Amino acid sequence: MSAAWAIFKKELRVWFVSPIAYVFLGAFLFLAGLFFVMGIQQNGEASLRAMFSNLSVSLLFLLPLLTMKHFAEEERLGTFEFLMTAPVPLWALLLGKWAASLALCALLLLLTGVFPLLLAIYGDPDWGVIATSYLGLLLCCGAFSSAGLFTSSLSDEPVAAGLGGVLVLLPFWIAGGAAHLVDWEPGRQALRQLSFLTHVEPFSVGVIDSSHVAWFVLFSFAFLFLTWRSVESRRWR
Amino acid sequence: MTAPPPPAGGDVVVQAVGLRRRFGDLVAVDDVSFEAHRGEILGFIGPNGAGKTTSMRMVTGYLPATEGKAVVAGFDVFDDNMEVRRRVGYLPERPPLYPELTIGSYLQFVAELRGIERGRRDRRIGEVMDRVGLSGWEDRVLGSLSKGYRQRVGLAQAVLHDPQVLVLDEPTSGLDPAQVVDIREFIRDLARERTVILSTHILSEVERLCRRAVLIARGRVVAQGSLDALRARVDRGTRFRVELRHPDAGERAQIAPLIGALEEVEQVRPLDPADADAGDDEGFLPFEIRAPGDPRTAIARLATARGWTLRAMERRAPDLEEAFLHIVGKEGHTQARGEGR
Amino acid sequence: MKQATRRLLAHGTNATLVTVMVIASLCLLFVLADATRWSVDLSEGASNTLQAETREKLNLLDQDGQTLTITAFTSQAGKEEAPFKNQAVEDLLKALDAESQVVSWRLMDFDRERLTAEKLSVTEYGHIVLQRGQERVDISDRELFRRVGTGPDKRLEFVGEAAISRGFSQIMAPSQRVAYLLTGHGELDAEKSGPDGLSELAGLLDRERYEVRPLDLLRTDREGVLPTIPEDAAVVVVARPTQALTAAEEDALLGWIGRGGALLLAVDVGTPTPELLRRLGISVPDGVALQPEMQVPYRDRPIPRFRPHAITTGLIEDKLPVVLSHPAPLKLADAAPEAQVATPVLQSTRDGWIDRGGALVGGGAVYEPELDGAGPVDLAVALELRPGGPMVRAGRPVARVLVLGDGDLITNGMIGDAPGNAVFAVHAMHWLAGDDRRLGVATGAVGRATRSRRLAITAEDASVIRWTSLGLMPLLVALAGLTTWLSRRGR
Repeated sequence: MSAAWAIFKKELRVWFVSPIAYVFLGAFLFLAGLFFVMGIQQNGEASLRAMFSNLSVSLLFLLPLLTMKHFAEEERLGTFEFLMTAPVPLWALLLGKWAASLALCALLLLLTGVFPLLLAIYGDPDWGVIATSYLGLLLCCGAFSSAGLFTSSLSDEPVAAGLGGVLVLLPFWIAGGAAHLVDWEPGRQALRQLSFLTHVEPFSVGVIDSSHVAWFVLFSFAFLFLTWRSVESRRWR
Repeated sequence: MTAPPPPAGGDVVVQAVGLRRRFGDLVAVDDVSFEAHRGEILGFIGPNGAGKTTSMRMVTGYLPATEGKAVVAGFDVFDDNMEVRRRVGYLPERPPLYPELTIGSYLQFVAELRGIERGRRDRRIGEVMDRVGLSGWEDRVLGSLSKGYRQRVGLAQAVLHDPQVLVLDEPTSGLDPAQVVDIREFIRDLARERTVILSTHILSEVERLCRRAVLIARGRVVAQGSLDALRARVDRGTRFRVELRHPDAGERAQIAPLIGALEEVEQVRPLDPADADAGDDEGFLPFEIRAPGDPRTAIARLATARGWTLRAMERRAPDLEEAFLHIVGKEGHTQARGEGR
Repeated sequence: MKQATRRLLAHGTNATLVTVMVIASLCLLFVLADATRWSVDLSEGASNTLQAETREKLNLLDQDGQTLTITAFTSQAGKEEAPFKNQAVEDLLKALDAESQVVSWRLMDFDRERLTAEKLSVTEYGHIVLQRGQERVDISDRELFRRVGTGPDKRLEFVGEAAISRGFSQIMAPSQRVAYLLTGHGELDAEKSGPDGLSELAGLLDRERYEVRPLDLLRTDREGVLPTIPEDAAVVVVARPTQALTAAEEDALLGWIGRGGALLLAVDVGTPTPELLRRLGISVPDGVALQPEMQVPYRDRPIPRFRPHAITTGLIEDKLPVVLSHPAPLKLADAAPEAQVATPVLQSTRDGWIDRGGALVGGGAVYEPELDGAGPVDLAVALELRPGGPMVRAGRPVARVLVLGDGDLITNGMIGDAPGNAVFAVHAMHWLAGDDRRLGVATGAVGRATRSRRLAITAEDASVIRWTSLGLMPLLVALAGLTTWLSRRGR
């Protein structure tokens, strides 16, 4: 566990001194601000629903960019060799990296906290709904980071890893839309269950449903497991 | 100028048996076996691309061997990988540094990963930094360090947890001569209680630090044993250097075969083949002659008989470089076996 | 076999197998999690959670298995409340869809889907059409939204769940039933809309597909014909007559019970007690039923306890109080008549009593044992009379009678004050009409209200919001980045 903690701290430390981090943060905040302003202009309601829904889809594209360097960079620096010869269990390495991504996301989301504060000044937002929306986004971040981590473990090329992450996640976005095109009921249900939008939407109206929480947790776990497999296979391939 | 290395002969700590590694169709390392004992520095020497790095990676368990096995401190590097990792300090060919971190925070990170208790961490980091000549550099950012300093941080990283076995891949590359002396002293110190495998392409380093060495070329061990034994392999035939001039420039090519025909001579080789026909400004040609006994009298006689002018004739002492060239030369000089990965 | 190949096979096969198994078990785990799901609704007023009543109706719809199509049309685009309205309707429809197997819905743009609108002959924005088989129920925008508050607090509220829930009742109701309301003795009036009228109840019953007709037994009595209850009656209601019924009328009602008919009989303090009550084993003692637990701020409006009965099941779950006003106490005979089951449905709390005057303490009546009757006091009693007994002829169905000690319970004033009263009244009708399946599925008088949260901002405010969101925040991040960069420069 202490190894995971060390990896976690290292990841954050490395991230926060690199200028690209601040570009990323700034760009994300600007995007979120855009969604926020557009949302209240369109609806005129003291609600962040439009922003949250747009952000969840944007994160699908942005998070693989955040995680793409995880393995490719270690490989490039030669530090991967160090990590694989230091007494760090693989799960600790993955957990540390994943948790670091999640912590970054939490920070991103924390910074968007300025938007509900603005709403509170000028209107009367529903805090319960905002709290669950944030929870939903954070769960999304966990799931997307996990998938991004997986593709980054497959490729030494950061760009390929990032693109691969988006490609892996894309089906989980469009499945919901595809469900409307399917006539066969069980197929439609399965596609709907596959789509992350199905699972994130209830959070955006204030509902915490155990099965949706389970979906995100299991999704994250599945890709962490696949990452573990993919990295571990280097040891015997 | 340096004290002789401590005698070897302790327990076998590292044992590699028949290591072989393929990358696709390329065999980077083939049938490499060696042993390293406690308290010794084992030199692992060979030209670039000979498979040194690949071998080091297999011994540390980073790279699985295609065939063969390695046992470190009693643990199989594949089956008991985690136990091996705890006991090995490894400086890869390229020091594994995060350019964004400072030296201090990097070593803290390594110490945490290595499981050094919180209370001992700072003291241990201080000690090691002193030892590799980094004291006062805690706040320097790794990305801005010169090659020599990166190498030192890499070494500090490898020894931080006081490992039983040290695997050092080209530890002195990029250091200036004064630093090299320091670091070699440090490695020699380390080896008193530990086992060090030192991979290098610098022969003098092996001569100064090791009593035993493994010579590797094109992925194969071409010789191994104590340095004395390696030198002795060359001594089987004593070598002599002879400089001769043929009065008739056109007949120069005859010299070598005629000497070679002598009963006392085993082998004749023009030392500078490119100029063999021209000779130096004065027309003298250098030859290397190998002979079991002393062929000098016979050669002198022959020169007199043929009317050649004899300018120099000396016995040559074997050195490691020669041994190396000799042994590697037997295997052929082409280095087309690809870079180790 | 080569060592590497062997290892690859061993680890590879193993790894593939384990991977497939782990992924499969994760899927299984999700199915399990989905099956045992629970949720909390943290939005204000739990506005996403359907009312128990709505869920019960959906459940009934599912049991019937016939597809229910909901076509909702959007609000007028460009109107400032349109986004809120459309969103609220869509959320509700999604929630209904998630809860039911048979509900299918579409939200159509009224301006773009003119053809659909014309086909359904819908001519207004924000209209909703429920269709099931041949049945159709229309819900207009006015039923879905209401304005509350005044001045700056004035806002729009979405009460669509109640409206659609009512629609479900209408679409599910069997063909029209007739409820006869006895007239001619100063009874409560179904046409009257004041606080003491029954127009609200009549409206509720109309939605539940009861046709309310007046029943004048005196006229037939005058004309020398024996009064009888019409054959098409589902329920006969005698709503607090202030004058005594004639003997012939009482006989007609007894005859109605004898035929297995259903009767709702409301009495009150100071009104004549019909003779047939005695025959049913119920007496009305003198005095007013009181209890310490009253509807604030009234001193004479007890909130009675529900006793377990088909009528009260849904009410108990929904925690909807029924409120009474000056109820008359009911007393069951010690020995119940043969072939009859009497169940108190409403009862005062244990501290209740029958007050017969006496001293007032602090302006309120108190229990005086020597004068008053001890509680708990029955305030409504449901009777089931089996055929073959002294009351109901053999071969007839079970007769059902509900006696209310308080006629006010069903008046406009009380129904407006306490939503539980409306539900109670409709439940009572369903039970009396033998429509047990619809019990627990009440009127839709209740339902969530989602309020609009309009931002009241000036152009100036809007520009502050815009600059803070798009300029200030990214700028702060850029500054943080610059600081880091400067602090590390030259190290």
